[in-house]
Amino acid sequence: MTALSQAACTTSPRACDAPPPGMIRNTLTIAGRELRESIRSRWFVLYTLAFAALGLAVSYVSATGAGGAGLSGFGRTTAGLVNLVLLVVPLMALTSGAGSIASDRERGMLQYLLAQPVSRWEVLLGKFVGLAGTLLACICLGMGACAAVLAWKGQATRPESIIWLAGLSFSLALCMLSIGMLISVLARKAAVAVGTAIFVWLMLVFVTDLGLMAGAMAMRLRIEELFALSLVNPLQVFKMWSLFSVEASLDVLGPAGLYATEEHGQRLHLIFAGCTAAWGLAALAAAGVVFSRRSPC
Amino acid sequence: MTRVAKYLALSAWMMLAVTAAQGQSGEHAEPASPARTLMPVRELGPIGRAIAAAAPGETIEIGPGVYREHVRIDKPVTLVGRGMPVIDGGGAGDIVEITAPDVTIRGFVIRNTGTDLDKENAALRALAPRTTIENSVFENILFGIDMREAPGSIIRGNRIGGKKLDIARRGDGLRLWRSDRAIIENNVIHDGRDAILWYSTGVTVRGNTSYDCRYGLHLMFSDDITIEENVFRGNSVGIYIMYSAGVEVHRNRLVRNRGPSGYGLGLKEADRYSVSENLVAGNRVGIYIDGSPFTDAKPAVFTRNTIAHNDVGITFLPSAKGNELYTNNFIDNIDQVAVAGRGNLDANRFWKGDGGNFWSDYTGYDQNRDGIGDFVHESYTLFENMMDKQPRLRLFLFSPAQQAVEFVGRAMPAVRPEPKFTDEVPLMSPVVIRHDLRAEPADIAGLAGTGVMMLAVGIGLVAAAAPAATRRRAETPGNLAGKELT
Repeated sequence: MTALSQAACTTSPRACDAPPPGMIRNTLTIAGRELRESIRSRWFVLYTLAFAALGLAVSYVSATGAGGAGLSGFGRTTAGLVNLVLLVVPLMALTSGAGSIASDRERGMLQYLLAQPVSRWEVLLGKFVGLAGTLLACICLGMGACAAVLAWKGQATRPESIIWLAGLSFSLALCMLSIGMLISVLARKAAVAVGTAIFVWLMLVFVTDLGLMAGAMAMRLRIEELFALSLVNPLQVFKMWSLFSVEASLDVLGPAGLYATEEHGQRLHLIFAGCTAAWGLAALAAAGVVFSRRSPC
Repeated sequence: MTRVAKYLALSAWMMLAVTAAQGQSGEHAEPASPARTLMPVRELGPIGRAIAAAAPGETIEIGPGVYREHVRIDKPVTLVGRGMPVIDGGGAGDIVEITAPDVTIRGFVIRNTGTDLDKENAALRALAPRTTIENSVFENILFGIDMREAPGSIIRGNRIGGKKLDIARRGDGLRLWRSDRAIIENNVIHDGRDAILWYSTGVTVRGNTSYDCRYGLHLMFSDDITIEENVFRGNSVGIYIMYSAGVEVHRNRLVRNRGPSGYGLGLKEADRYSVSENLVAGNRVGIYIDGSPFTDAKPAVFTRNTIAHNDVGITFLPSAKGNELYTNNFIDNIDQVAVAGRGNLDANRFWKGDGGNFWSDYTGYDQNRDGIGDFVHESYTLFENMMDKQPRLRLFLFSPAQQAVEFVGRAMPAVRPEPKFTDEVPLMSPVVIRHDLRAEPADIAGLAGTGVMMLAVGIGLVAAAAPAATRRRAETPGNLAGKELT
């Protein structure tokens, strides 16, 4: 650790809850360490390879899928990529977030880290930033490869839509990472944390949507209620947001999408950003509060 | 019998039109017979004087310049513009009115009509047979070319651009009223309401392009129409055929016609139609079939079309019976074929002889290599079925939950819906029809640049971290997150 500035910090970690002058530097030091460690970890290699391979498959199939009729996919490629991101990115972000603090704690690494003159917020934020960098690398590699393949196959996908998709995937990753870190500070064991993360992933990906679908049918929800309820799930928000930014309209999503487009127009960008940010910030704040109050081991 | 039915339909339509006009303006509030009062021309401008001085049959040449006048052509003359002279209506009323037969206008810019929808301010109104309008440009106009009882007219090579008004306040870029055997060729129409044919028989519409309009081409009670090699893109509806019989629709491109009622091709109570070799792509609904064929007159055929990447490939209303669809390509439509409301499509046929259609979602195989799938293609996906019944569920499109539902539908026959239709002889590979749809080179370059840029960011992040990590490996007490996945 460099630049350990605060003698005051050594008395009690709680004294460091207010940001001291060296906080950003400490956070970045921890972030750099986390980035280095996670980028050369196996999960990063595994996820990046899986994401890139699946993304390439989706792009390649949608670029050649018209069977030589000389057609290219309009928004269909992006729709396929959206679907892929919905499955892979939350899993990646949730499990890596869940693994971070819990496995350090299990291995005694956390005690060692907290013995240094750094505050707990710095440790948490540092790990968050480091993992965010790792996820960014993963998304950039995957999406970049997809864009390269689409360009090579002469696909009529606009470059902006890939950039939008990558950016929104990153925002989804940040949101999921915060939730993962909340799980991580709550869990006692790394295995429990990762297991919980996978459970949460399953809930977000399948159970909430299926429940909402059933609810919409059984309770005859009105379309505005259906749209409002779908905003609760950050994955749905990501899906609608990326469709909206690529297609400039949600009419492909039927009456509820048309309603949202007509009613809110460009304000949808704000609504979607607000929902994603609310999830991410709330989870990260909760993680910080829990982490700074609990005993580290 | 057909005639009686048609008049019944006509009277019903008129009643509807009246009701619609009372309820909300704009939606086909068409008068039963158009006003016959002539355009007032207070004083003759240079063009008006030239016409007054000309003998019938003469050719009048007009030099370049801006002519601020309203022109009436009341004798059979040919009016030729040299260097695209401009006739400017000054934002009021109609601009050119033709009351004599056999008039030709060629090479003018006609611009700035009034905006009065009730008076139907038009850039050019023809009230006599055999009018020819060629190679002219119409700009900032409410109605563009308005033909009333002008049979045998030719409209060729014009560019008609409407006023960018709210759709309810726009006029028709092109309108034919009782103008049989007209030829509409190689025009470009944009930012108008509709291009519409009323009670006009034997019209040919070929090689035109239409974009940003409401209806790219609309047939009302117009029989024996040929529609070929046109492009309709970005309209609300590409081609809408209503109450018309004997329509040939070939080699058109109907692309990205969207919006709440976005159809590539709509057929309402049409008869004797043949639709072939069209590209129908990226529309909200590719083809919409409502009560067609209206009688059991043949043909009602769709063949060698490519229907791709639409939200819904073809929507049938339950009233559609007797259509034949074979050797078409159905490629990656989110919902390939939908039935609006209840019922199946048993009354329509999806193959002829040993030629079915190509379905991109066909899951069978072809062991004897005869190009035809060894199993029938039956369309029953659970989610499609749910969407047909409850359109609001489209909100869950592209989500993993949708695929979960599909999987359940495949895995559990108990919840599998009845097949909507059956194709006995599905094709294994698409029917190859040339549709040139290439991406812009600029977009490809941009895409490649984006890819390289993102890869660079990713590799840069990895490269910045990796060597340092290798050095530090020995001193790090454990690889942070690596272990729990191994």
